[in-house]
Formats: sequence, C-alpha cells, structure tokens
Amino acid sequence: MPPWLHIFTLELAVLGIALLVLLCDALSPLGARALGWLTAIGLVAVLVASFAVELAGSAPHGVYVSGAWVLYFQRLFLCAGILGVLGSIDWLETRVARRPAEYLVLLLASLVGMMLLAGVRDWVLLVVAFELMGIPLYVLCAYAKLDGPAREPKLAAEAGLKLFVTGAASTALTLFGLALVVGASGSSSLDGPQSANVSALTGVGMLLVLAGFGFKIGAAPFHMWIPDTYQGAPTPFVAFLSVAPKAGGLAALVVVLLSGWSRQHELWAPALAVIAAASMAVGNLFALPQKDARRLLGYSGIAQMGYVLVALCARSEQGIAMAIFFIASYVFTNFGVFLVVHAAAENSGGHSLDEIAGLSRRSPWLGAALLVFVLSLAGIPFAVGFWAKLFVLLAAYQAGLVWLVVTGVVLSVVALFYYLSVARSTFMADGRSAEPVRSGLPLRAAIVLCLAAVVGLGLWPGPLLAEATRAASAFAGGP
Amino acid sequence: MSDPALLATIALVAPAAAALLLALVPPLRHRGAPAAFVCIAGTLVSFGAAIGLLVGRAPGAEEVRVVVPWLQAGGRTIAEVGVLVDGISSVMLAVVTLVALCVQVFSVGYMHDETRRGYGRYFAYHALFLFSMNLLVVAPNLLQFFAGWELVGLASYLLIGFYFAKPSAARAAVKAFWMTKLADMGFLVALLVLFVTTGSFEWTAVPTTAVATAVTLLLFLGVMGKSAQFPLHVWLPDAMEGPTPVSALLHAATMVAAGVFLVVRAHPLFELAPTTGDVMLWVGAVTAAFAACLALVQTDIKKVLAYSTCSQLGYMVAALGAGSAFAGFFHLGTHAFFKALLFLAAGSVIHAVHSNDLADMGGLRRKIPLTAATFGIGALSLAGVPGLAGFFSKDLVLTQVEGRAGWIPWALLMASAFLTAFYMGRVFIKAFLGAPSAKAEHAHEPGLAMTGPLVLLAVPSVIAGLFGGTLAHFVGAEYHTHFGLTPILASAMALGGLAMAGLVFGRGREVALMRTLRSLDSGSVVDRSWEFLYRRVMLGVSGVLGWFDRYVIDGLMNLTGYATLESGSAVRTLQTGRVRDYALAVVVGAILLSLFGVLR
Repeated sequence: MPPWLHIFTLELAVLGIALLVLLCDALSPLGARALGWLTAIGLVAVLVASFAVELAGSAPHGVYVSGAWVLYFQRLFLCAGILGVLGSIDWLETRVARRPAEYLVLLLASLVGMMLLAGVRDWVLLVVAFELMGIPLYVLCAYAKLDGPAREPKLAAEAGLKLFVTGAASTALTLFGLALVVGASGSSSLDGPQSANVSALTGVGMLLVLAGFGFKIGAAPFHMWIPDTYQGAPTPFVAFLSVAPKAGGLAALVVVLLSGWSRQHELWAPALAVIAAASMAVGNLFALPQKDARRLLGYSGIAQMGYVLVALCARSEQGIAMAIFFIASYVFTNFGVFLVVHAAAENSGGHSLDEIAGLSRRSPWLGAALLVFVLSLAGIPFAVGFWAKLFVLLAAYQAGLVWLVVTGVVLSVVALFYYLSVARSTFMADGRSAEPVRSGLPLRAAIVLCLAAVVGLGLWPGPLLAEATRAASAFAGGP
Repeated sequence: MSDPALLATIALVAPAAAALLLALVPPLRHRGAPAAFVCIAGTLVSFGAAIGLLVGRAPGAEEVRVVVPWLQAGGRTIAEVGVLVDGISSVMLAVVTLVALCVQVFSVGYMHDETRRGYGRYFAYHALFLFSMNLLVVAPNLLQFFAGWELVGLASYLLIGFYFAKPSAARAAVKAFWMTKLADMGFLVALLVLFVTTGSFEWTAVPTTAVATAVTLLLFLGVMGKSAQFPLHVWLPDAMEGPTPVSALLHAATMVAAGVFLVVRAHPLFELAPTTGDVMLWVGAVTAAFAACLALVQTDIKKVLAYSTCSQLGYMVAALGAGSAFAGFFHLGTHAFFKALLFLAAGSVIHAVHSNDLADMGGLRRKIPLTAATFGIGALSLAGVPGLAGFFSKDLVLTQVEGRAGWIPWALLMASAFLTAFYMGRVFIKAFLGAPSAKAEHAHEPGLAMTGPLVLLAVPSVIAGLFGGTLAHFVGAEYHTHFGLTPILASAMALGGLAMAGLVFGRGREVALMRTLRSLDSGSVVDRSWEFLYRRVMLGVSGVLGWFDRYVIDGLMNLTGYATLESGSAVRTLQTGRVRDYALAVVVGAILLSLFGVLR
C-alpha cells in the first residue's frame, strides 16, 4: 500500500458503500428503503469517522493535498449526501421501485467526485474529478424518464438533455482553455505562471476555464440550464443538485483562482466581479415572475451563487472563509426548502406556487419549516442565511468593493419580494389542495435535520464560523 | 462548571423546559391539569435550586460568574450569556421562586373554573414568566438583563390580556405594553450609549460622569415604566384586569420590582451619577404620596392594592435615589412577601364573593376567617406596624432619606406612611368587618390549594423584617438599627393611620379630603394627559408624516416595484426553453469573457 493512500480514506469509504449497495442489490433484491437506509447510515458513519481520522498529507507530485480545507468540504458533501439519500428514499420506493440501487450508486459516485475536488492541485485530476461528479448527475436528472407520472417523463428527459448539452459545451470550453494554459506553461500543475502579466493566449485560456467553472456553479450567463433542469428532474435529486455540485465547483474555483492564479488577479478579478453582479441581477429579477416553485428556487440559487462570488472578489483570507460559510449555510437552507416543496408536491401533485399556497393549513410543521428556510434564504435574522449574507457583504466591503456591496444589498431587497410572497402564500392564502401532507420518516428526518442546522447555526454561528476560518487559513497557508 | 453556577443554571433551565414543553406539546396544554403539574414541577425544581444556592453560600463570599460567548465579531466578544451568582441574585432568586411557587399553587384552586385550554395556557405563560424573570435575575451583563426584561414584559402582556375576549382586558394589556415599551426605549438607548462609549455591557462598566448620568437617566426611564413610577404608572391599575394571582406575582411581588432590582444591580453605575439619584429621590417620593392618595378612594379591592404597589415601589426608588441600594432591596424583599399575600388573600375574597367591589363585601371575617386573618397580617405589615416585616424595611428607607433635599421627600414619605395605614385600615374594615352584603352571605373558605399559600406567605410577612441584619451581612452591605426620631415617628404614623381609619370608617363615615381625591381620580388627570399627548400631538404629527409616506415615499416605492416586476417579465423572454439557445449563451458568454481578456 502506498504511504499516501490514507489521505483518500473518506473517498474510498464512500466508494466502498457504493460497491456494497451494488453487491446487496445483485445478491438479493432488498428494496429501496433498506438500501437507502444502508447508504444513509454508511454515510453517517463516514461523517463521524471524518472527525476521528488524521488526513493531512499530499499525494506524489503534489497532485492532491489534504488538510483542514479539504475536510471542511468533504464533511459538507457528506452532509449533503446524507440529506440527499434520506430525502430520496420515499420517492425511490413509490416511483422507481424497480431500480433504486443504481440511483444510490450514481449519487455516491458523484459524491466521490466532489470529495476529490477540494484537494485537487493538478489540472488532469481536476478534470477527471469534475467529470466524475458531473456525468452521474446527467443520468440522475433523467432518471424518472420512464417511471414518473404521465406528465413528467418528457420533462425528465428534457432536464437531463439540457444539463448534458450545456455541460458538454462548458466542458469543451474548459478543455480548450486548459489546452491554451497548459500548452503555454508546459506543466499540468494548478500553479499558474509566475509573472503577473501573461500572454493574450494564456489570458484567454484562463477566462475560458473561468467560464467552465461558471457553468458548474450555475452563475450567469452560464445558468440557463438551471430552471429547466430543476423543473424536470426528480425533486429530491434536485435538492442535491442545487447545492452539492455548486459547493464542489466553489471548492475547486477557490483553489484555482486564489492559489493557482493569485498573481494574475488583475486578469480575472474584474471578470469575476461582473459574473457575480450579473448572477445576482439575473437570478433575482428572473425569479420575480416565476410560478413554479422549482424554477423560482433555481433562479434564487443563481442569485445566491452571485453572493458567494462577491466574497471571492474580496480576494482575502476572510473572504474565502465567508464564502465557504455562505455555501454551508446555502447547502442546508436550499436542501431544506426543496425537500419541503417535494413533500408538499407529493401530496398535491404539483410544484406550482398555487399548490404550495396554504401549506401551513395542510401541515403546520412543514409550513413553519418552509417559512424558516425562506427567511434564511432572504437573509433575515436570526436564521443562518442572515449571517452568511452579512459576512459575505462585510468581506467585500472591507476589500473596498463598495459597488458590489450596494448591488448585493439592493438586489436582496428585490429578493425579499419573492421570498416573502412564498412565505405569505404559505400562511395566508387558501391552497388549491386541502389534503393533509403525509410524508415518510426519512423525508421528515431530512427536513428536521436541515431545520435544526438552519436555526441552530442561526442562533449560534460561532462554531461553523471558526471552522470556516480555520479551513480558510489552512488553505491560505497551504499549497 | 462550579457548583453555584450549576444550581443557578438549573433554576434557569427548569422553568424554561416547562415553558418549552407546554409550548411544543399541545396535548399537554390542551388538557389543562397536566400543564399545571409541569409548570409547578418546573417551579419547584427552580425553587429547590434557589434554596440550595442560598444555603450553600457563605455570607460575603466571592461572586461566581460563568459565561459563554454569544455574539462574536472580528475576533471580539460583543456579548456573553451566562449566570452571575452573588448575594443579591441568590436572595432575589429565592424570593422570586418562593412567591412564584405559592402563586402557582394558589392558581390551581383559583383558576379551576377556567376551560381546560385556558387553564393550560395560563400555566404555560407562568412558566415563561418565571424563566424570563430568572434570566434577568442572574444576568451577568446588561444585555442579558434586557432580554429577560423584555420577556417579562411579554409575559405580563399575555397574562394581563389573559381574558382577551373581554375588551377591557385586551385594552389594558395593550396599554401596559405601550407604556412600558415607551419607557424601554430609554433602556435600549442607554444600552447603545453604554456600549458605544465603553465597549461593553458589563455591570462594572465605568464611563465618564457625563455618560454615566445620561445612561442612568435613560435606564431610570425604563425603571419608571416597569416599576410604575409617576407619571408612567397609569398602566399598573389597569393591569388588574388580569387574573388575581397574576397581579400578585407579576404586578406586585416580582416583575414590577425588576426595575428596582436593575438599579440595585447597576449600583456602581448609579453611584457615578449623583444627579440621577436626586431625580430618583423626588420621583419616588412623589409617586409614593400620589399613589397613596389615590389608593384611598378606590372601590375595587385590587385597585387599592395596585396603587399601594405603586406607592411602595416609590419608597424603594426613593431609597435607591438616596444612595442606599440595600434599603431599596430590603424593602423589595419584604414587600414581595406581604404584597403577594395581600393579593392572594384578595383573590380568595374575590373567589368567595365573585366581585372585586368593596361594596359587595363586608363582614367576611366570620365567613372566611383564615383569609381575613392572613389579609390582616399582610395589611398590618404593609402599614408598618412595629415588629412586622414592613416596619423594618420602611423604617430603613425613611432613615436613609432623612435630611435629603431639604427634608421634603422624607416628609412626603412620612405622610405616605400615614396614608398607607389609613387606606389599608379602610379596606380591611370595609371587606371584613361590619355587616355582610348580599353577595357575602354565601361566601366560604377555599380549598387547601388556596389557603396553604396564604399561610405560607404570612410567615415571612411577619418575620422577614428580623433578618435585615442577616441579609445585609449576606449581600455585603451595612445595616444599623437605631432609635432616633424616624422609627418613632413612623410607628406613630402607622398606628395613628390605623386608629384614624377605625374612627372614620368603623362608623361608616368619610373624610372631606376623599371627595376631592375621588374627583381627581375620576378625572384621571394623568391618564387624560397621556391621551392628549397620544391623540392630539402624536397622531397629529404622524398624520402629516403618514401623508408624506403614502403619497411621496410609497409612490416612489411603487414605481420602483412596478419597474422591477416589469423588467422581470421582460427579461423572461430570454429564457426560450430551446437547448441550442442555452448552449449558445454559454459560448457567447465565454467569447465575451475572452474578448474582455484580450482587449483589456
């Protein structure tokens, strides 16, 4: 066994769970529920283990570096994986009972790709990790193409196709950009050129790579797949899709920009700021007229990623810490809100805002949970989203990016409108459906976990903030 | 965590757990009786912890302060939460939990005619109140104190408006909320000023004299609201719309005393500001005399007690203004016992005759002798008859005020002492002596749940005064008894007032002064002034502002909102739904970025 293999312990463990699930499914048909719980418990075990193991170190040639930074993200991905599996169990059982194992294995494969991303320091490995994360997602998007209700299969296929085509275009751009960058430097290491001034070709290459990242995190103008995909893909999976790959993209983006290309910031920083502002503007403005909860949340997610990029524009250690704090807050909040929408829709048959209206009368708990999540997304104290937004804008302000801060604040007022109108219709309006919401234990457990995280971190953001700061400082001192 | 801190935390957590349980488990609340059990169990645990704290604490021992950081920013802790255990807080905790326990047990009997849901709701509010009160009692800094302060305000609002279907109760709740909120603005601004100038919310913060004066005056504004000082006292008589045990606990013994407790706690701060002290001395003395006058003419037994509470709080504030935190604190403690006793006994009377009106009572001493006896003990203690609890603490207050500000506050308080004995004598005679009224015919003594707390509270109402020296030793203050002019005069006032009451009311007569006072009361000058301020001045100004807001600000806002929504709909057409357009957008975006890179 090579001496550096231990730094991949967590990835290997997740891979092990995937193989176990495949094996169980091949030997005896256990059913979605048993396999789902098996996966969830396995992931919880890995999450617990991540606090017990010592993982610092690096792989040969420095292609992969582990440490506090990587662990922060890996734990976040594991949380997302646990929530994703728990949220999907009921859906798998009722809708795609015939092949639950593949769904779980694909999800785990994507998870392994993400877990690799944060520590990657080599272009080849980065592309491989990106594709390992991305390709299972294409499949999962279209997973319900045969099994859903009569209206939905086409949408599922469309969702998968749209993600795939735009994803392929972005990957092509990224690879072309990388060809220029690596061709000029002659090295596949993430560390960029030494001089601040690079040739025009290298510059173009870098910006093309940046565009590829823009697709991964769903920032404008590379965002167009988002609403259609979110609307068509299975909702519990969308909950996962809307948070985990974005966190993965962010982890890699921070490494590339603030470590690899930190000397060329004059090239990319203005472009990043424009992307951030465009994402906040496009996301918030497009969200206003939406009638479907999933599309609305898709656009709101684009806007949220804009705020993360604002923190990166600050180019400071504090900015990095705030960005990764924000993404953690976003993971729990957005996951929760999608799961609530899913639970409500499973009982009323639709995801339109009209059908979610009056939710509090059908289920007071879900109504309250939705309110908390929406307030957190809107950045109202004392949900965790408030701190996230505050910290991000503070970091940008301290870096002197006043125009970005003003843009962010103004657009978050716009965002209040659609977030609060969701909250209002949840409590005040009469819904189309009066049927009480029935949801399974795993789904409820997932929602409660999200709720606990959003409220708990909102009242007590200190520990997560300390953890994010530690990860960011480990990163800044690191590679 | 050290031992006292653990006990204090238990005292804090037990009612919080009860409140949470009752809030989050509706069946428990809706079934009534279990709610009473949960609430009283929480209070009992809290009381046990408080007693443990009191017994385990050596007199004059070091304070124990255990805190955890709460708000942190930029590597700096802005605020902490935790517990501060010293002589003052452990005594206060014991007093609060003991009175709360008595009142809650009493409520079991008093509220049994309530609907089950109402019963459950009542005890849920009680649990919330006790948690809030304990939160402020053990607060290690002003910020946590403020949190508790606002929470007791909320509990008070909920409990005054407990019979919310009754318009007068709903109005009284809102009035109490508004008046105290108005005063709390002072508290809030004081917090901000203190934090901006000293960078901390600690009790021990040391600002400059000018800042200390500003901060303490603002804090005192909050105290005037909470502790019902003239002219912010108008909410307290109305607060009697709440159930009588609530009046006993919140509006007599504990919550209204929170203002006094604040000054005792923040004494280092107040010592830096002699000007504030003078203001407090005058406000306290005027309140004491003014409220005592009004207490004389009330026909509602609870309103007599309410004005009497105002008056006694005036004594405490005057003592604090004279610079003696201990005298104020001592009077707070004894007053908590005898006033809670009086209110509960009044509750027993109301329970017996189903009326608050003194005219419906009379001759009750034969029907409900135990209630009459305990009420009598409370009344004598309040009147300041030598030997009983109220005498010692009132005497200490009077002694401390001696000679201050040209003897005028002293004289006012001395006159109030006479009036206090006089009006308590009047109430006792009207309710318990003489011929029974029609309603009093069928009165009977309540059950053990109600008589038990009465007897329990009667004990400290008699003997608590003897422990002045012990208490002073315990909290590290000085206490001297002396036989000068003041105690003799005070005793004479008490006995004289009672004798006078016997002479006047025993024969069914009235004094001429009362007619004047009654017209003053029915005119309710202070209430009217507030009303004028609100209706004419405030609504007038807000009418103008409202016009500007509606037509100018809202117009601009609506225009912005309309434009934003329209732009949202306009850009929507860009999202065509065709996948080739999406891929095109990616490519165009990338090309634009590249161009940007090349042309830069």
